[in-house]
Amino acid sequence: MGRTSTLLLSAAATVLAGTMPALSAWQPQKPIEFVATAGPGGGTDNLARAVQNIITKHKLVEQPIVVVNKGGGSGAEGYVYGKASAGDPYKVIFGTSNAWQQPLVSKVAFNYTDLTAIAAMAQDEFLLWVKQDAPYKTAGDYLKAAAAGEFKMGGAQSKDTDEVLTRMIEKSGHIKLTYIPFKSGAETAVQLAGGHLDSHVNNPSESLGQWRGGTQRPLCVFSPKRLPQGAKVTATEGWGDVPTCVEQGLDIKQYEQPRTVWLPGKVTPDQAAFYVDLMKKVQATPEWKDYIEKSSQIDTFLTGDEFDKFIKEDLERVKQVAGEQGWLVK
Amino acid sequence: MDNLGELLHGFSIAITLPHLALMVIGVLLGILVGVLPGLGAPNGVSLLLPLTFGMQPVSAIILLSSMYWGALFGGSVTSILFNIPGEPSSVATTFDGYPMARDGRPTTALATAFGSAAFGALIGVILITFLASWVAQVALAFGPAEYFAVYFLAFASFVGMGGAAPIKTVVALAIGFAIAAIGIDTVSGSVRLTMGVDELVKGVNFVVAVMGLFGIGELLVAVEEEFHARAVSSKIEWREVFRAIGRLPRHSVALLRSAAIGCWMGITPGGPTAASFMSYGIARRFSRRGRYFGTGEVEGIISPETADHAAGTSALLPMLSLGIPGSATAAVMMGGLMIWGLNPGPMLFVDQKDFVWGLIASMYVGNIVAVVLVLLTVPVFAALMRIPFVIIAPLIVIICVVGAYSVSNSYLDVVMMLGFGIVGYLFKKLFYPLAPLVLAIVIGDKAEDAFRQSMLMSKGSLGIFFANKLVTCLIVAGIALLLLPLVLQLPRLWRKPASAATETTAQEAAREKVII
Amino acid sequence: MISRRALELATAILTGSFGVVVVVSSLDNGIGWSSAGVDAGTFPFLTGIIIVLGSLYNLVRGVMPAATLASVPIAITSIELRRLAGLFVPAAIFVAAIPLAGMYVASALYIFAVLAIPRQQSVPRALTMAAATALALYVVFERMFQVSLPHGALAAAFGF
Repeated sequence: MGRTSTLLLSAAATVLAGTMPALSAWQPQKPIEFVATAGPGGGTDNLARAVQNIITKHKLVEQPIVVVNKGGGSGAEGYVYGKASAGDPYKVIFGTSNAWQQPLVSKVAFNYTDLTAIAAMAQDEFLLWVKQDAPYKTAGDYLKAAAAGEFKMGGAQSKDTDEVLTRMIEKSGHIKLTYIPFKSGAETAVQLAGGHLDSHVNNPSESLGQWRGGTQRPLCVFSPKRLPQGAKVTATEGWGDVPTCVEQGLDIKQYEQPRTVWLPGKVTPDQAAFYVDLMKKVQATPEWKDYIEKSSQIDTFLTGDEFDKFIKEDLERVKQVAGEQGWLVK
Repeated sequence: MDNLGELLHGFSIAITLPHLALMVIGVLLGILVGVLPGLGAPNGVSLLLPLTFGMQPVSAIILLSSMYWGALFGGSVTSILFNIPGEPSSVATTFDGYPMARDGRPTTALATAFGSAAFGALIGVILITFLASWVAQVALAFGPAEYFAVYFLAFASFVGMGGAAPIKTVVALAIGFAIAAIGIDTVSGSVRLTMGVDELVKGVNFVVAVMGLFGIGELLVAVEEEFHARAVSSKIEWREVFRAIGRLPRHSVALLRSAAIGCWMGITPGGPTAASFMSYGIARRFSRRGRYFGTGEVEGIISPETADHAAGTSALLPMLSLGIPGSATAAVMMGGLMIWGLNPGPMLFVDQKDFVWGLIASMYVGNIVAVVLVLLTVPVFAALMRIPFVIIAPLIVIICVVGAYSVSNSYLDVVMMLGFGIVGYLFKKLFYPLAPLVLAIVIGDKAEDAFRQSMLMSKGSLGIFFANKLVTCLIVAGIALLLLPLVLQLPRLWRKPASAATETTAQEAAREKVII
Repeated sequence: MISRRALELATAILTGSFGVVVVVSSLDNGIGWSSAGVDAGTFPFLTGIIIVLGSLYNLVRGVMPAATLASVPIAITSIELRRLAGLFVPAAIFVAAIPLAGMYVASALYIFAVLAIPRQQSVPRALTMAAATALALYVVFERMFQVSLPHGALAAAFGF
């Protein structure tokens, strides 16, 4: 085989690759169901509804979209539903890192491998929050005080992102914290405001109002670099003014909560590709930028191998913490 | 009295023609979703939410909150007419509302319910108007131990009374607790009591249980007795509507007491459901006609309805001032607030005065609009009672099936609902009380969470329940309410122990009749 | 004909076996006190025990002939049983038909069957009511509130 034929072949392949999607691309033929693995008003629900609004507004899909809440069992209800709908490309599941973390620590009847990963669309940051009138000004002071006393750390759910981070703080800061699980981040924030807790690790949007209202303030953010400046939250400070935890001697470089999108298992690659493409289109709209900014999240888009790598890395990290704590289900 | 000035300004925002029109639309839509079990205010709110993004935040919240009022009123309709409570908070309304409607007085039952509900809501708004900042502070004082104390108080005021066989009450209560524990446990994150059914990880939804226990169960009892609702006269009874409303002031003690309980439970995190149960329980204990409760007593309708709405209204305050949604609807509304660029929380009252006071003023106006509209619909709903049983029965079955399904689009729920129907029938037939069962399903897991959170905080010491004045008072009040009936009985037992032991069968049968 | 005693027994056995299931499955979650506070199985275990004990008490009380409940010897007469079945059996068939026929078709058939077969209504009237019910469900749920009710396996086979 000569050089030319190889060229020809590759040219043909390129042409084919270019036209193939257009020819065989899958299009939805009936209404699509968006399954939010959270109750109405939760972060995941807001994401699903925001995506629904954007798609409807820009007519990105001909078919109507319905949002369904299946937030029971910390989201397990939605994932189990996704697993049960294997092969059905009309169900899109919106979740978080719960999809792979939950099966590690509790006996739920699904694993993330039962689903088809579409994308991680946004990252929620974590911050260390204390009561407004707490004596410590930096994470370093906090660690010193915590080493001396018995601190209560609140968080949403048990053995979930908040508690994993709490255990990481314990390890990194050589302290012991009593972790108290509540139903949601909002509830935790109120408990801190009422002085029933010493700290929590809420996402920005969960404690934004409380910070503005002067009941609690962030000490540091678990991110490699400071957050984008954006508008001022209080009279003097905005998100960009919050130092990173590493800066302050709490050595946890990065901890984020991805908002993830899934299809049920056993769908065709065409069907998966359609939704990857759809989510990319959603992300390009000004409404998306607006949503990201208002909910104080970080815009990202992970799909395919990148997303897979992200999951694997996160799994390793959680496995380590869960193993040390003895949480892993047998 | 700064607040008064702000309120007047608020009225100038709320009472404009477009806003009044929005209120009417919102209330009507709310009544519709409230009446249809399975659909609730959250459905309506999330349906309207996208439409409101183009509106002024004040207009949007007026539309949504009007729908909330409409749905609250509408929820009582099916409770009274068909014994199907669409919302947890209207369960207690069925206890006397349904017997009254069955007795041929649906108009009176509905009008009484709406009138007292409006009164409760009004008291709730007045509380928000004048004590907003104080109320917000009170809510902050509630940690896990205080939460537990509030739930304990709600149980104490409701359980331990009534004529049911005590062991049957205990069994019903324990079954309710067990059902509430099904699913993922908040405190440990582990899956409990799914009995091999994967889907049960989501837990057993209250609506599913109640549609079966009350809706289908009652239907079975009714068909067995070949019971047909006493004929309702065919002419539209406007006069009866006004007469029922006119009689309300006679029950001013019950109204005020229930409103107070409602406001208290709305501010503290007890919520409308606990409020309505507690108010009913206390009314039954302290009313002169307490022993007739469960047979269609007026005060048995007034008490839960007033407390429910007082709590539902004052529960909006923690949402606005603290950012904790008291209910699913409030959660969706809060999502809306954020999308409109408002952050619920302490600063809302400072930053967004027009919005907050416009909303508060609209609560006054919206509730008045809602009660007028809903009273207009009374004769229409009452007329439903005239549909022959053979036609209405299959329709109720369909409503329960669709309602159970649409809670979380699950067929399993429909099957469970039917199962609960059989249980409801058996329990009713054998005089197991349903109310403690339902109360335990609704707040059992919350009480357990709060107890275990407290134990984590105190490292296992029960002393946390007596750690400060607030929690001590609540716990002591709860214990007192539990022991009160025993203490009252004691001297009587002492005097003639013989008669208590040989209670005649007739007495027992009569006692079983009034079990709810 | 079912006696009150039999009914009491059946119910006590029903609640008792639920209690046993609760006790058994709560053992999986661990009972007692651990480093993570009160174990998840503790409260379900206790409630399960209470249910079992209470059911045993009710069982014994139901059997004892001296019990005052004897005042109502017959709980359900055969006529009543027939009426009960007349309501419940069609309802159960309706629920069983939903996965196959879908909510709309099943509810229309159900309404038609319970109205037309016992000759409660004339066939055309029953037909009209059945169609109206299905249509009302569709308009309110599917159209107005975007709640998707099951369409059924048959409808899916035909590509809806």
